[in-house]
Parts: sequence; structure tokens; C-alpha cells
Amino acid sequence: MKYKFKICALSLLLLLGACQKDIGFGNIDTTYDPQVFIEGILIPGETAKIFISNSLSFFHEKVSPQEIFARGAIVELVSENISEKLQPDSTFDKFRCRWTPFYKGQEIIEYNKTYSLKIDLAGKSYQASTTIDQPKISIDRVEYVENFYDVYGGHDGVIVYLKDQANLANFYRFQMDRIIDNSRKHAHVLDVVTNDCTQEGEQYLVSDLGRTVFSDGPLDGKELKMFIEVSFEYLEGDTATIYMQSLDAQSAAFFQDLDNQLQSILNPFVEPVFLHSTIENAFGVFGSAVRSEPVLFVYPQDNP
Amino acid sequence: MNHKIILLFFMTTIWIHGGAQVKYTLSGLIKEAESGEALIGANVFILEQNIGTNTNNYGFYSITVPASDSLTVSYSYLGHEPVVVRIPFDKNNSINLEMKQMVSALDEVVVTADQNDDNVSRAQMGSIEIPIAKIKELPTILGEQDVLKIIQLLPGVQAGNEGTTGFYVRGGNADQNLVQLDEAVVYNPNHLFGLFSAFNTRAINNVNLIKGGFPAQYGGRLSSILDISMKEGNVKRFGAEGGIGLISTQLTLEGPIKKEEASFIISGRRTYFDWMIKPFLSKSVKTNYAFYDFNAKVNWKIGENDHVYFSAFKGNDDALYSQDGIEYNILFGNQTGTLRWNHVFGPRLFLNTSIISNQYLQDISALQDNAFSSVISEIKDISGKMEFQFYPSPDHQIKFGGHYFDHRFRSAGEAKVGSGSNQGTDLVTDSIPVKNMSEAALYINDDIRLNENVSANLGLRIPAFLSSSVNYIRIEPRLAVKVQLSNNSSLKGSYTLMNQFLHLIPSTTASVPTDIWIPSTQHTKPQESQQYSLGWYKNFNNNQIETNVEAYYKTMKNQVLFKEGNQLVRSLDVDNLLVYGKGWSYGAEFFVKKKTGRLTGWVAYTLSWTNQQFKYLNYGKQFPFRYDRRHDLSLVGTYDLNERWSLSATFVFSSGNTYTVPVGRTQVNHGGSLFEGNYFIYQARNNARLNPYHRLNFSATYKKQRKIFKKPYDSEWVVSFYNMYSRKNPYFIYFQVDPRTDKPTAKQVSLLPIIPSISYNFKF
Repeated sequence: MKYKFKICALSLLLLLGACQKDIGFGNIDTTYDPQVFIEGILIPGETAKIFISNSLSFFHEKVSPQEIFARGAIVELVSENISEKLQPDSTFDKFRCRWTPFYKGQEIIEYNKTYSLKIDLAGKSYQASTTIDQPKISIDRVEYVENFYDVYGGHDGVIVYLKDQANLANFYRFQMDRIIDNSRKHAHVLDVVTNDCTQEGEQYLVSDLGRTVFSDGPLDGKELKMFIEVSFEYLEGDTATIYMQSLDAQSAAFFQDLDNQLQSILNPFVEPVFLHSTIENAFGVFGSAVRSEPVLFVYPQDNP
Repeated sequence: MNHKIILLFFMTTIWIHGGAQVKYTLSGLIKEAESGEALIGANVFILEQNIGTNTNNYGFYSITVPASDSLTVSYSYLGHEPVVVRIPFDKNNSINLEMKQMVSALDEVVVTADQNDDNVSRAQMGSIEIPIAKIKELPTILGEQDVLKIIQLLPGVQAGNEGTTGFYVRGGNADQNLVQLDEAVVYNPNHLFGLFSAFNTRAINNVNLIKGGFPAQYGGRLSSILDISMKEGNVKRFGAEGGIGLISTQLTLEGPIKKEEASFIISGRRTYFDWMIKPFLSKSVKTNYAFYDFNAKVNWKIGENDHVYFSAFKGNDDALYSQDGIEYNILFGNQTGTLRWNHVFGPRLFLNTSIISNQYLQDISALQDNAFSSVISEIKDISGKMEFQFYPSPDHQIKFGGHYFDHRFRSAGEAKVGSGSNQGTDLVTDSIPVKNMSEAALYINDDIRLNENVSANLGLRIPAFLSSSVNYIRIEPRLAVKVQLSNNSSLKGSYTLMNQFLHLIPSTTASVPTDIWIPSTQHTKPQESQQYSLGWYKNFNNNQIETNVEAYYKTMKNQVLFKEGNQLVRSLDVDNLLVYGKGWSYGAEFFVKKKTGRLTGWVAYTLSWTNQQFKYLNYGKQFPFRYDRRHDLSLVGTYDLNERWSLSATFVFSSGNTYTVPVGRTQVNHGGSLFEGNYFIYQARNNARLNPYHRLNFSATYKKQRKIFKKPYDSEWVVSFYNMYSRKNPYFIYFQVDPRTDKPTAKQVSLLPIIPSISYNFKF
């Protein structure tokens, strides 16, 4: 629990005159052989979108998606029906005001199929496969919550209720799509991002994916009540489309790793969390998410 | 291998020299003349026969030697005038002796009869006794004298985080140290998050640390035994002793209940830290941090052969922090009670029987925003011990007995969210189900002199852990051998196997009171260590200077850590959050100690390596222990300038702690989703080291005898400086990436700068 390290740190730092300083990286071994990072989550009904980038030395001064994009990769996606080469593409992220490159397919991904991914890049080859067979879940209802508490602290957000499918290990991730403009700031660390690429009142789509992966665990087959923190500010009457994604187990483990690492980065008193790849010789994940039917949600009040 | 050792043990134990020669026994009690306190570890040496023994924890000694017209017996104890007596020896003889403290420590003591070469002559190795007077002389932090901080200055012992009392012995974790006060286990020997120890030095008589070659009477922990004995109280006259420091004040009263037969001592300490910081806090902040401890002991000599002791200890920390809807409460503390009965059956057989109760409770709660959470953990033990000490001949000192512990663990957590959560908790200690389990052990240990030059310490301990779900029974052979190389030097070797049925689960990488003890289960198996050590001991200048070099190799099985990223969880069913692995440590320790003269002190240097390997950590590869420090050096010195002034200093230098540096990073981008950001790529756990740690502490003491109401009393002013040159030692380094610029930074946090303090002590 965070309060324990907080109170220790608080007491020690405040009462005993701790000091903190930025240190250079001079005495730290910075040698690093960059590895390929792959993030590919297939969604039935959509075309494939695979993010491939080169990870860099931690102490590299700046890492933007365009700078680290793995150009020149040959990316193949194969299933029993299709075999296609994905092509480089990009979208403009109007919230971050920057391009996000990826490799895009043309074929529609189908449920209950197995897909194999093969990437050839700089003389090396990476392979992974996934079967999309996790159940599509139905959201029972969504409620607004003004204040709840989780490992990241106290928040506002939404509560999603759904009935878990019994006798399966299920993993859920939240998705909220909203049309916003730059008056809706980010509610967390990215509130420092300067949005100077959109006009006042210019609307754009944001797809807010939850950082917490919920597993049914001991609540197998029961009604699940999930408290979810949202990324962007809102006003009363703002609307959003909410989905719950069912993730395959490998993807769930990977995103759980990300969540655990984020917590460990925020807390200097816990041991760091290593990322465990689902792709041999590379970092990252290749898996799938099956989306529920959408639910329209209207914020009943302004954000607190 | 084990069977051979056991067989050898029993053969040698049964083989007691039983020649036709008539033998008699010299026995008795050795006490301090001024107070009547038992002198623990005083040396008794028979000059004609070149053999000796030591007093036990109650000041009792016994030595059986062939009859002769007379014997010359030398008694010695550090800081006390040696006594040499010549006695007729044609029958069993009992000599109770009182030894006087030396009048002045300034005179270079020339003790021709001083045979106190215990460190060289005993088979026991890896053991260091700290005279309580030495603890009182050394520099302090905020004027608080501290046993555990002195322990950290010994070879093979590493300090934990900056300023804390946590200690790590020969690569073992902090939970592998058994800290006991008058035989009662103290589960959390800390105050103020570990900045101070729970032991008030004014109530302590003796401190003994054993880190290897463990005799069979000790068990239950892998790495060390810190055996602390409380004072018994002055049986001759009333006295008072106290001190006023920057953050606490303390008072000790002692005296006879019935002169020469019964005495008491009570000692208390309380901080006023909470009052001091109040003026510096804003009105919106409520904080209250206080700790106190209380010691009491009564001893009663019932007859010539019986002595009863009752001692009690209670220490608590109580912290509150409240500001802007946040409220933290931390309460933790220990309480112990020990009832002991010593009976001397005859000159060769001594019995100690103890009934001990101890309790450790931590109750931590937090209210933040509209959420309330609470964790309670409690351990209650009732234990009984019975130990016989049998001295059949000067070649054998046999200890045998049994221990039984009844453990009751209670732990639970609660979290509430939403309206009503600020009403506090429904969780109370009494409502939490109790988990019962027991530990028992039988042991026998023989300190054998095989011939003029070779002696051994053979032991066998059979510990058992019993619970409703799982039982464990283990066999622990213990062996230590000494070969005397010359009058003042010896070579020693030892092998010990230890088991530990309790585990301390650290909630963070810093040792804090929120760490929780759990018992072994089917999943969490007992920790086990095997340790081999070899040492060379040599004294110089008529035993005034002691030196030794010890090398060791230790393996540790069933080590426990949290899975990556896990912290203390609300559910305290932690088995499925743990990962299990092994550890090993090896190194060499060098120790030089000057015991007498104007300048006293020691130099301790340790060169060591400690590694761990866990299947589910660090990709299954081995990694260095967090406190794997290649070099660890301590210099400790006290110099008496004159009758009134003395100066003390300690200097420590150690390699930096290991920590984990990310080598790479990658980005996950999802249009502002909460998990968007830079993620760190680690290649190995603990792949870097903090900068070396070094610090100089200094103190000056001015002593003077004064008078109040025409009665003399001793007074002293002590001025101390912690971290004299205000070195910014690294506490930890953490890494961040600016979410806007993606620029990485590394920040080093340092805790304690120079801290001056002044305190005033008095003694009537």
C-alpha cells in the first residue's frame, strides 16, 4: 500500500532534512544493445495495426514515436484465410500533436482464427502467433463515481458492471472513446502536454484505454464491478462510448507488467518490475482483444 | 555426512575422562563489587594446570580439576581489577567473588596474571561481546546511545539503510537475526522507523553477538544471535541514573529490596520529538510522533542455591500524521516478560528454567481522500526453556535442554471506499482469527578439551515446527574445533546448520515497521543455512590487543521475496505473492581490538560477496544481494584525554548498495491513455551500485563529580556530531522520464546531513 512508503518517506524526508539532487549518468554504465519493441493487438472486425519500434538506451535524450519507429521492416500476417504484408502508415495524434507510425493491414481480422506474425528487420526475424477465441462480453451497466481509491490513489471515474463468463480465465480492459477538444485537459501526468496543433473548438477522437487489467480470478462467473479511472477531464453532459475488451492471457500478462512497472517507477521503495515479452528475441506483445458491444455514457456532472 | 557427525558427537560426549585420579570442583558466583551485578563471561583460570573457564549468563562458574595441596586461581574481567587467590584444594570448594572496577582507565594496566585470552582459547568462533561501557562512550545520533548501531560496526555486520538500526550479518537478511532480551524474542527492535533501537542502554548489562559457529543452545534464525541481558539492579545501595538529550529523556532507578539478597531496577525513556516539531508545522498539519520504552527487573536470591529473576520490557511507537484529508496512524511495539529460576544442584550442575511471554503488535491505518485502509499484525508467544549446564571435568562443559514456543499469529487488512469510510475501522485485533503454531527444540552441546592443544564444541539441535497444516522436523549438527598454535594464537574452524521457521516479508526495500512476520507453511518452507568458517586468532601485548581473521562460506535455502513490483497487500494471505530462491555469501573478516589504555577501540574490515537466485526474478539468473558490499570498514576509537575529558569517534566506509538501473526504454503510445508513456527495460536486477558510503561521527565527553544537597553525583556533558563532514551519502536513486519532453533524469536522495547534539547525563 502506498501509504506505507509515503509515510516513511514523508517522515524521514521532512523531519530529517533529506536532500535530493539530479545526478549525471557519468558513473552509470549506459551501454545498451537496442531491441525491437512490438505491440500488436488484433481486434476482430478491424484491420491489423502493429506498432514496431526500436527501444533505445535509457539515457538517450529524446525518444519520439517517429524517431524510434522501425522503418524498413517486412511485416507479414498469416491465418488460414489470409496472408498479407502490412504497410507503414501513421495517424496524427491530435492530443499529443505528433505522428504515430505503425504497420497497417488491409484484411479484416476475424474471430476464432489463429494469426501468425512474422517480422524481418535488419537481418533478424521475429515470430509470434495468437488465437482469438476469448469470449465477447456484455456490459450490464455503467455508473459514474465521483471518488474511489485504488493503488494509484483517489480518483473520479466510472464503474462498469458485467457478468463474467464462468469456467474461463477472463481478462478485461476498459476502452472509452470520446470526441473532445483542447478545452478537455488530460487529468493526470500528461496535463503538461502542450496542445498547440488544434484550434479552439476543433474536435478530435481520443480512445482512452484503461491501464488496469481486471481478471475474474475468484469471482469466476459472478457479476464484476470494476472501478475505472479515466484519462481526460469532462463536463456535465459530455458523452462517451464505452467498451470492455476481453484480452487473451498473454496480452493480459503483458499489460499487467506495464501496470506493475508504472507503479514501481512511481515508488522508489519497491523493486523494479521487468517486462516479460511474449515474442522471442524482442520486447512486446502479440495478442488480441475482443470488444464488447458499445454502451453510451453521459457524464452526470463536471469533473470534481 | 550428518550421521557421522552425530555418531562422533555421541561418542565424544559419552567419553568423559573417568580416570582413577581424585578430582574436586571449584565453583561459585562472580559479581561486581559496587552493584552486586553478575559478571557475564568473566574468566577463571587455574595457573598450575593452565586451564580455565568462564562465568555463564548468571555469573556462575564451575571447574573440576585433579586434587592438589593448593591452587592458584586468577579471576579477570575487562575494566575490573584482576584477582589472584591461592586456595587449598583437597575438597570441593566454592568461591563467590566480587570484583572491583578499575579506579582509573588512564593508567596503562599491567596485568601479569591476566589470562583473559578467551577469544583465542575458546573453541567458539564468530562471537563478539560488547562491553556496555563501550556503547556508552561512542558517538551517538541525537544523543541516543544505541546498542544496534554499535553492532553495525563489527566485522561481518552490515548496516542497512542510512541511519537505521537494521543489520545484516554475513549476507543474511534482517529477519535472520534473533534479537532477544533476557531470552525473550524482540520481533521489532526499533523505534522511529529504525532510526533508534528499542533498547535503553542504561538498563542493559551485557550484549553478545554470535554470527557463526553457533552453539546448539541457539537456534531459530540463520544468521546471528544478538543476546542482550538486562541489569539486575544494585543489591547494595540505591542509585539513580539519567540523561536529557535533544529528543528524549530517560531515568533509571535501582536498589536493594532486601540488602544483598534482592534488588530491582526500573528504567524508562520517552521522546519529546512530537513537542519539538510542533512549532515548525502549519496549523493544518497534525502530527504526533512519540516513542517510549520501559524496562523493569527484580531479582531475588532465595537461598544459597536458588535465584529468581523477573524482567519486563515494553516499548511502543505511536505516530499520527494528518493534513488535508489525509490521516495516517502507526502504532507498533513489543512487550516481553521473563520469569527465570536458577538452581545450583551442586558444584557441577546448574539449571536455568525460564517462562517467557512476548507480544508484538503493529496497527497501521490510513485515511486518504474517501478511502480507509488498515493493517493489523500481532504475534503472541508463550515459551518455556530449560537448560542444564553440567561441568563433569575441566575437559567438558555440557549444556542440554529444551525450548518450546507457542506462537499465535493474527493478521488482517481492511480497505473501505466511499461514504462512511472515514468513520474508521471495523477491524479490531480481537476480531481477527488466531493462527496457532508451535516450535520446539531439544539440544545438547559439549565444549570439549580433547588435549592440550585441541578443543571442540560439538552440538546437536533438533528443532520442530508444528501447525495444523504442516509439520517440519529438522536435525542441526554443530561443530567447532580449535587448535592452539601458541600461547596466544589459535586456529578455529566450524560448521553449522540452522533452520528458521519464521519469515519477515518486507513491504518495501527499506526496512520499516510495516514489514510482516509470517510462519512457515506448506508453500513457504523453512529457511535453511549451512555455514563453514575458518579463523585465525592471535593476541598481542599480554592479551591487551586482540586480532582475528575469519573466512566464511554460507548457503541459504528457501529465501523469500515478493514478486516483482508487489508491495504489502490488503489480503495478508501472502503465499501466492511470494517467490522463493536461494542465496550464498562468502568473505573474510579482519578485526583488531585494543582493550586497554588511553586509546581503546577497534578496526573491523569485511571483504564479502553475497548473491541470490530466484526462479521467477531476474529471468532466473543470479543477482547480487541488495546489501552486497564488497568492502566494509569500521574504525572505532575512544581516547581519554584526562580525568574529565574523553573523545570518541567512529568512521565507516562501505561500498555502495546495489540497485537496479534500466538500460533501455521504449514508448507505448495510445492517445493519452493512462498507460501511455515510457517504459523501462531492465537487463539485470541490482546491476549498479550507489556511490560508496562513508561517515565520521565524533563526540566529546566532559565528566565531573558534583554535589547536590551535599551528596556527590557523577555528571557528564556529551557533545556529538553525526556525519561530521556532512557527506551526502546516497539513500537511493530513482529514475523518471519527463512525459512532455521524454527526457530521462536520475535523482539521488540523501538523508542525514551533519547532526549535532548535546546531552546531559547524571548518576547518583
